[in-house]
Amino acid sequence: MNDERELVINPVVQTSVQHNSQVVSNIRNLTASLFGVAAGTLGLESYPGFAFYLIGTLIVSALIFLVRAEGKPSEYFHRPLGDLWGGEVVGGLSSFVLTWTLFYGLVRA
Amino acid sequence: MAFGGAALNIIGALFLAHAIYSAHEHTTTFPTSPLPLDITIELLVSVLLLSTGIVFSSPALKPIQWAQWSGKISREGQQPEAGKKTREGEQILGDGDMFAFLGLDGYGEGRRGFWDVRGKRKEYVGWVKAGGRA
Repeated sequence: MNDERELVINPVVQTSVQHNSQVVSNIRNLTASLFGVAAGTLGLESYPGFAFYLIGTLIVSALIFLVRAEGKPSEYFHRPLGDLWGGEVVGGLSSFVLTWTLFYGLVRA
Repeated sequence: MAFGGAALNIIGALFLAHAIYSAHEHTTTFPTSPLPLDITIELLVSVLLLSTGIVFSSPALKPIQWAQWSGKISREGQQPEAGKKTREGEQILGDGDMFAFLGLDGYGEGRRGFWDVRGKRKEYVGWVKAGGRA
């Protein structure tokens, strides 16, 4: 109820929200496959590989926070924690595993 | 910004290719020994460079609060969308003023600005009291 009132007073532009989440998802997809390349070449296996992905996404989130959101994420994201720091992390996981296994097979095996 | 991002991407891709090639050569020559530290460092630095480049070359975010979004539009005017072109190579315009059709800023057809109702009423009362002649 309170949230609804807040939205009436300060309306949110839906096209901007869509644009921002698309930018974040694009960055996530590109960097996820990049981290997969690195993890496979380093020869990481099981949990360290996933930990590498999580650390990488954290660094990329920090970069988006500093460069694209200029340190004010609430101006660009409705829920900064979910949309910026946690946005599309699981969605990028599949492309991470794909390139991880590919480069592990190419370089290490 | 976009130029710096592209430069970072190219440098990062070169380092990444070199690091992966080195790792491949190393593992084919010494299959059991771990990866040397310099290849690991080169790999991590190249990944960092590439992800920084990707973030720098991504399109700018748009403010989601209506007030800030429309304020930006009225300050900067209608801007072409960065990086988006039609097939003929023409620029695609981004979001414009939502209320331009009202014609409040003087040009185009539309409604004039609001007039001072109380002032007009007072003027009318004065005119009636003065005898109703113009």
